[in-house]
Amino acid sequence: MKAAQLIRDYFVKNGLGLGSFLLVAVLFWVVILIVLPQLSMLDFSFRHHLPPPEMGGPKDTYTIEHYKYLVLGAPGADTSYNVVDLGVFGRTLLAAFFVTILDLVLCYPLAYYLGQSRGGGAIRILVLLLIIPYWINEILRAFAFRIIFGESGLINEMMLTMGLISDPVDFIRANVALYAGLGYAYILLMIFPIYNVIESLDRNQIEAARDMGASWWRIHWRVVIPYAKPGISSGCTMVFMLSAGALAAPQILGGPSSLWFTQIIYQWFNTGGNWPRGAAFAVVLLVACIIIVLSMMRLFKVKIGDIGK
Amino acid sequence: MKTNSLLLKVLLAAYLVVFFGYLLGPLIVMSFTAFNSPSFPKLTPWECLTFEWFDVLANDERILNGIENSIIIGIGTVILSVIMGLTGALMLTQIWPKLRATYYTIVIAPILIPGVVLGISTLVFWDRISIMLGMSTGGILHNGIFLTILGQSTFIASYCMLVFIARLQRFDTGLTEAALDLGATHVQAFRKILLPFMKPAIGSAAVLAFLASFENYNTTTFTFGKYPTLTIELAQKVRYGINPSISALAFIIIVLTVIGALAHEIYRRRQQLALANGAPVSAVTGSFQLPKILSGNPAAIILILLTLGGASTIWFAQSYSPDSCKMDVREQKRFIQEERIKAIREKRQLNIQQKQHQGPDVFGGSKSTAPATQSPGKGAFGNVFDPGNLDKSAPAPKPEKPVTSPGKGAFGDVFSPQNLDKAAPKED
Repeated sequence: MKAAQLIRDYFVKNGLGLGSFLLVAVLFWVVILIVLPQLSMLDFSFRHHLPPPEMGGPKDTYTIEHYKYLVLGAPGADTSYNVVDLGVFGRTLLAAFFVTILDLVLCYPLAYYLGQSRGGGAIRILVLLLIIPYWINEILRAFAFRIIFGESGLINEMMLTMGLISDPVDFIRANVALYAGLGYAYILLMIFPIYNVIESLDRNQIEAARDMGASWWRIHWRVVIPYAKPGISSGCTMVFMLSAGALAAPQILGGPSSLWFTQIIYQWFNTGGNWPRGAAFAVVLLVACIIIVLSMMRLFKVKIGDIGK
Repeated sequence: MKTNSLLLKVLLAAYLVVFFGYLLGPLIVMSFTAFNSPSFPKLTPWECLTFEWFDVLANDERILNGIENSIIIGIGTVILSVIMGLTGALMLTQIWPKLRATYYTIVIAPILIPGVVLGISTLVFWDRISIMLGMSTGGILHNGIFLTILGQSTFIASYCMLVFIARLQRFDTGLTEAALDLGATHVQAFRKILLPFMKPAIGSAAVLAFLASFENYNTTTFTFGKYPTLTIELAQKVRYGINPSISALAFIIIVLTVIGALAHEIYRRRQQLALANGAPVSAVTGSFQLPKILSGNPAAIILILLTLGGASTIWFAQSYSPDSCKMDVREQKRFIQEERIKAIREKRQLNIQQKQHQGPDVFGGSKSTAPATQSPGKGAFGNVFDPGNLDKSAPAPKPEKPVTSPGKGAFGDVFSPQNLDKAAPKED
C-alpha cells in the first residue's frame, strides 16, 4: 500500500512522461548494466566448459570445478594445492596493498600542503600539473616507464655513464618498473579525496594544537589524520581496487616471471579459451577485493557513502 | 625556530621537486624520445633530431583505424553515460530514504569493481542473451562497438553521476515548483529550468566521459571484438615491439592536453576576473580582449608561447632533414663497432698467444688473425680461424709482400709475440 503511494507520489511529482523516462533509464543502468551482468557472470562461473551448441543442453549443469581448480589445481597435479595461481593471487593483493601504501605516503604531504595553502595562482598551476598526467592514456604512461626503466633505458644509461654500475640492472624483472608505474597510474585518485577533505579543515584547529605545544607529528596524528580519514580511506580504497584489477601496467611493465592475477583471467578468456574458468577467477578477484575493502572500512569506521566525495 | 622553518621550506621544496619529477618526468622523457632517431625509443644516447616518427605515425593504418573506432565508441559512451548519470543523480534525490543507501552503493559500485570484471560480465551476459534469443554470433549483441559502449558506460555513468550530484546539491527545487505552479508541464520545467542549470555539469561530465572512454583498456580488452580502439592498438604495439612513433603519438596527446588545460584555465580566470569586477558572465564570455588577458595570466602567456613554439617547430620540420646527421651517426657507430671488434680480436690473439705458449697446438688460422685486424672494415672476425682466410685477406693490406702458403706459415714463428701484432707474412 505504502509502495503504491510512493509510486503515485513519484509520478505526480515528475509527471508521467518524464517520470517513466527517468525510471527506465535508471532501471536500464542498474538492472541491465550493473546487476544482471554480475549475476550472469557468477552463474556462468559455475558452469562446465562446453562448446556453444551444448550450452543449455543436458550437460549444462552446475559445477564447482573452476573454483576447485583455483584452489587444488588440475586433477592429477603433483602438488595438492594450485601453488601457481594461488601464489599469483596472493602476490597481486600484496603488491596492490604495497602500491596503496606507497601512494598514500607520497600523496599525503602534498594533499596537506595544497589543502592548507590558500589557493593562489601557484597552487592552481600545481593542481593543473597534477591533472595533466591523468589525461594521458594509461598505456602511454606505462610505456613511458618502460622507456625509463628498460635495459637500455634512461636510468640504466645514466648510471652506466656515471660509473655507478657496470652492468644494466633489470628493473623490469625486479618489478621496480611495475610498482612505479602502478603507483603513478593511480596517484591522482589518492591525492584528490585527501585534498578535498583537508581543504575543509579549519586552520584554527591546527593553530590551537600548535599553541598548546603539540609537535608537528602530533598535530597530524591527533588532528589532521582523524579529520582526513574519509578522504584517506576512499583514496586507499580506489587505489587498492584499481591496482589489484589493473591489466595494462602488468602486461607492459611486469617481469616475465611474475604474473598479475588479472593476466591469468585474461589468458583464460583469450588464449586459454575457457570462459567459465576465467569468470570464476574474476568472481574470486571481485569477492576478495570487496571483502578487503569492507573490512578496511570497518576497521577505520568509514561508510561507503564517503567514497567518491 | 627560524632555522627550523627554513629547513622545513627546503624539505618541502625538495619534496615538491621529487613529486612532480615523478609525475611529469616520464612524460617529458617520452616526449623527447619522439625526436630521437634510434628505432627503439630512448633518450640516451641522443643521436639525431628527427621528425620521421610523426610520418610513421601518420601512415599507420591500424592507429588511424583505432582512433576512428575510439571516437565512435566515445560518442556513444558519452551519450549513454550522461543520460544515465543524470537520471541516476535525479533518482537519488527522490528515492525512498530507506532504499537510498542501497541504491547509492549499487550505482557507485562500478567505480570500485575492477574493469576486467566489468568487461567479462558484459561479454558473458550479452553472449548468453544472444544464445537465449537464438541469434547468430555475427549479430548486434556480439558487435564490438555495442558491447564496448555498454561495458564502458556501466562505470563511466557513475563518474558522471558524481559530477551531477555535486551540481544538484546547489539546485533550488523551489524553481521547478514555481514553474509548475505557473502552469508549465513537467517536461517544460525540466527543459527550461533544470537542464540550463545542469548545463556546465553536463559539459564537464561529457568531457570526463569521453576521456575515460578514450583511454579505457581493462574493460575494452574483453569487449572490443572486431573493433579495436586506439588504446587496444597501442597496447598491442607496446607489448609486441615498440618504436618511437608511439612516443610521437604520446607527444601529440600531451601537447593537446596541455593546450586544453591551459585554455580551460584561461577561461576560468577571465570569468573570475570579470565576476570580481561585477560584470555579468554573458559579457565576459563574448569578446576577446588581448592585453587584459595577458596581464597577470601566466597560463595565457604559456599558451601563446606554446603556439608560437609549435608553429616554428612545424616550419623547422619542413625544412630540416636529419639525413646528414644520420650518416654521421652511422659512421660513428661503425667506428665504435670497429673499435670493439679490434678489442675483441686483440683479446683473442692474446688468448691464442697464451695457448701457444702452453704448447704448440697450432692451426692455420693463428697467423691469419694479424692481417685481418688491418682490414677491420670487413668485420669478418667470425671466420678468422678459417685457414682459407689467409689466401684472401692476408695479401690484401700488403700487396707488395710475397704471398705465403698457409701451410708453411702456420709453423713459422708462432711463439714470438711480435709475430702477432705485426704482419705475419713478413717473417717468411
